[in-house]
Amino acid sequence: MGFFSTIFGFLGFGVGVSAGLVIGYYLFIYFQPIDVKDPIVRRLVEHGSHDLHRLLPEMPFWVKNPDYDRIDWLNRFIQLMWPYLDKAICRTAKNIAAPIIAEQSPKYKIESVEFESLTLGSLPPTFQGIKVYLTEEKELIMEPFLKWAGNPNITVAVKAYGLKATVQVVDLQIFAQPRITLKPLVPSFPCFANIFVTLMEKPYVDFGLKLFGADLMSIPGLYRFVQELIKDQVANMYLWPKTLDVQILDPAKAAKKPVGILHVKVLRATKLRKKDLLGGADPYVKLKLTESKAPSKKTAVRRNNLNPEWNEEFSMVVKDPETQALEILVYDWEQVGKHEKMGMNVVPLKELPPDEATVKTLDIFKNMDPNDVQNDKMRGKIEVELTYKPFKEEDMPHNAENLGEVQKAPEGTPSGGGLLVVIVHEAQDVEGKHHTNPYVRINFKGEERKTKQLKKSRDPRWEEEFTFTLGEPPIKERMHVEVCSTSSRIGLLHPKETLGYVDIGLADVVTNKRINEKFHLIDSKNGRLQIELQWRTS
Amino acid sequence: MGLISGMFMGFLFGIALMAGLREMMRYRGRKRITKAADIKLLSSLNRDDLIKICGENLPEWISFPVFEQVKWMNKQLNKIWPFVADAAEAVIKESVEPLLEEYRPPGITSLKFSKLSLGTVAPKIEGIRVQSLKQGQIIMDIDLRWGGDPDISLAVEAALVASIPIQLKDLQVFTVVRAIFQLADEIPCISAVVIALLAEPKPRIDYTLKAVGGSLTAIPGLSDMIDDTVNSIITDMLQWPHRIVVPIGGIPVDTSELELKPVGKVTVTVMKANELKNKELIGKSDPYVVVYVRPLFKVKTKVIENNLNPVWNQTFELIAEDKETQSLIVEVFDEDIGQDKRLGIAKLPLAELEADTAKENELRLLPSLDMLKIKDKKDRGTVTIQVSYHEFNKEEQLAALEDEKKTLEARKKLKEDGVIGSTMDALDDAASIVGSGVGMVGAGIGTGVGLVGSGLGAGAGIVGSGFGAVGSGLTKAGKFMGFGGSKRSGSTTPVNSIQENEGAKPLQT
Repeated sequence: MGFFSTIFGFLGFGVGVSAGLVIGYYLFIYFQPIDVKDPIVRRLVEHGSHDLHRLLPEMPFWVKNPDYDRIDWLNRFIQLMWPYLDKAICRTAKNIAAPIIAEQSPKYKIESVEFESLTLGSLPPTFQGIKVYLTEEKELIMEPFLKWAGNPNITVAVKAYGLKATVQVVDLQIFAQPRITLKPLVPSFPCFANIFVTLMEKPYVDFGLKLFGADLMSIPGLYRFVQELIKDQVANMYLWPKTLDVQILDPAKAAKKPVGILHVKVLRATKLRKKDLLGGADPYVKLKLTESKAPSKKTAVRRNNLNPEWNEEFSMVVKDPETQALEILVYDWEQVGKHEKMGMNVVPLKELPPDEATVKTLDIFKNMDPNDVQNDKMRGKIEVELTYKPFKEEDMPHNAENLGEVQKAPEGTPSGGGLLVVIVHEAQDVEGKHHTNPYVRINFKGEERKTKQLKKSRDPRWEEEFTFTLGEPPIKERMHVEVCSTSSRIGLLHPKETLGYVDIGLADVVTNKRINEKFHLIDSKNGRLQIELQWRTS
Repeated sequence: MGLISGMFMGFLFGIALMAGLREMMRYRGRKRITKAADIKLLSSLNRDDLIKICGENLPEWISFPVFEQVKWMNKQLNKIWPFVADAAEAVIKESVEPLLEEYRPPGITSLKFSKLSLGTVAPKIEGIRVQSLKQGQIIMDIDLRWGGDPDISLAVEAALVASIPIQLKDLQVFTVVRAIFQLADEIPCISAVVIALLAEPKPRIDYTLKAVGGSLTAIPGLSDMIDDTVNSIITDMLQWPHRIVVPIGGIPVDTSELELKPVGKVTVTVMKANELKNKELIGKSDPYVVVYVRPLFKVKTKVIENNLNPVWNQTFELIAEDKETQSLIVEVFDEDIGQDKRLGIAKLPLAELEADTAKENELRLLPSLDMLKIKDKKDRGTVTIQVSYHEFNKEEQLAALEDEKKTLEARKKLKEDGVIGSTMDALDDAASIVGSGVGMVGAGIGTGVGLVGSGLGAGAGIVGSGFGAVGSGLTKAGKFMGFGGSKRSGSTTPVNSIQENEGAKPLQT
């Protein structure tokens, strides 16, 4: 008897609980829904001390840490833009979702899926400070602290089998500290080739998920479980060292790497116009590629000759054959004073067939303006032989994908040995007593290499690369690097001086493969020299 | 029995569970809302808030200037600058050269960059302020300072042949850039950006000019001329209310709202001047008046010879684009052989004018509008003008816009035909406004002999000053200037007649 009574008791309990839940649902949740409200933001001054204590753990980083910067102006900007962003994002989301829903819903026998409401709310994401890191590499690193405690209201109504279910997401909160790296920096807008985003810590996520109006996330325990699940999912994708890459530019193209070589042979000129008062002229030819920073090439001067022969060969590095052009300028050499231009012409590189020598006889003009009357006069002709040799695919340096990584040494390097690459980047605060026209001299194993000289610059940038092929790793060697300055002014007591030097032990380079460091110069006040060393082995 | 009690218990339990869930919902909901409010609050803290939270001992690194500091941005800017400079050089060359062409002063046939490198020093952003004065617009003010070491060489061709390389050194720019973002409902949510330099504080752009291998003083007036060109470009293009409108994101948006357009007509009658300064050795000054709102649209009265109290009574109509910030500028010149001398300048802010009522104003002439440059306090006389302002209605505005376009096109055509050297030339004798030197050979003298003479004179002077090698180059420059000048003076007459018909609309009274 007691046994049956217990069974009935349980049965009754089961039925009772179901009924109770249903009645309770209607009583407490269905008839008294908690609406999504705009939170009332009171001014801080009106808060009591209890509330202020609550605020302390959320204090922005820029208040607590001096290495974070305040970016409230950006917060303000986003806040003003938010209503527009909200509308735009929601509309885009609806447009993207609509075809997917239309395609998927018949499969699951769902009649319709509708957004009953879709808004991101009135509260925009905020940045509670930003921190930037400075490195020697060509990159920008910043870490904003993003906090979005919003009040979005996303309600999806699903109709199936004549029933309607609503799922509602409210009060989404995301706190994250992404690290945004822009690299490599390139000399064409927007000045970086890739964006890398990674999360330094697991993000904090919280939200309310309402099914039929009941917030499932309020069930004790479930919320924590779901939160951990989401965190882990995100962490799997983007937690450091995993990154999200967004390519903006093709780095190889943007960095303007050389793509070919132009060989120019200046043959002769004929019937040049007389320039000097006595005699004819002393012509020489200057060659220059447009959009190139390389110094122009000059032929020898043919004295007192209006039909000079040169037969001199030059080669120039081409970076973009589509837009670059070869400028040929004929000058008249003078003992004193300015060398006078006798005429010029321009050959666009795209007119040249690749890998084929073409001899061109060009008229020379006063300038390249076709309307200038002065160009009607005969100034003579110049004959040049031009060959454009594009690099073959396999010659192209493949460092596009793995920038910053050390390349393999080229073939022909002795086994056990390798290639020592020295890249002289830049110097800061170098100053000479008498003049500051700095260049860098590298002394290694009796070999000497020099960068080009920069005029009057205390913060010179060279970006020049030198290579030394070595039979064995230079574990015990040192490299002497010196910043020098010379002045060509006549009558100067100190035509040459040293602005500072540094001796670099190469053992570290061999073990690390690559070192990029700013060295403090010896015998210099504040001078620093940034040098990158690479040890490439096969 | 068991069934009933069980059901009852279960029922109670079920209801209690729901009540509990509801309580939890309410609790969690409230917690989230409070947090949201807190985060929002902390995103825009001010000094008082912080003192309330932290007490009086704020951390030392916190300050609240009007323009928020952006140290992090400056650090990044320094790093990326060499790359930005490289990328920007090409863009600047492309966009500024046509501008220089447009505003090129007469007497110079070509003004181009021969070298443009922005240097190693990055600009510094002193601060950023964001505000919104109008629905749907965000105003961002950027306080910019750039004491750079750019290496800019201008190839100035004073005539058809000579090219004088002029180096621009020690550039310093202090200005507040205002960017107005027009918001839109489509991604990227910004339909257009308006960029201008704030007039207050006045943009300061300092630089020194150096002729390569010589000194600028050898060609008097050249540096004034370049100064004037730079100034005209800045005040007429960039300085508020003038602005550049950049549409963004390919959204077809009507940006005409944002463009600067005629809002009213200023009718000026230049009546008379009193007690002008005598600048001539023999006789008295030959004064005339130049009136403008924008330097691009200058109008000029006739010259009254040998008179220090001239009466003109000539009426002109000028277009105003922004009554609040623009001013009417009145300049009095003395016509002279060679270069015309400025007798004085006066300014009348349009904001002071009442609509549709003519009012007589007696303005005191000053040596310069830049108060810092004024050295002598001598009385320069007064000029009397009668001004009335008429605000355009829609149709008048459109008509005025059409007119303006036509005038500019007509000038462009003249320029292409080679009748005038630049759009600024449309004002006859504009050369005199921008100063001496090349203007000296370019003004309105008929005889070519005298011109070549003066050119040679300048050249000889330089040789005399003893820059052996340099001198020879510059002598050539001087000579060529002479040729150019004679050419120009030959074309003065057609410019004059065009002036009468097109540019000034003189309403003879």
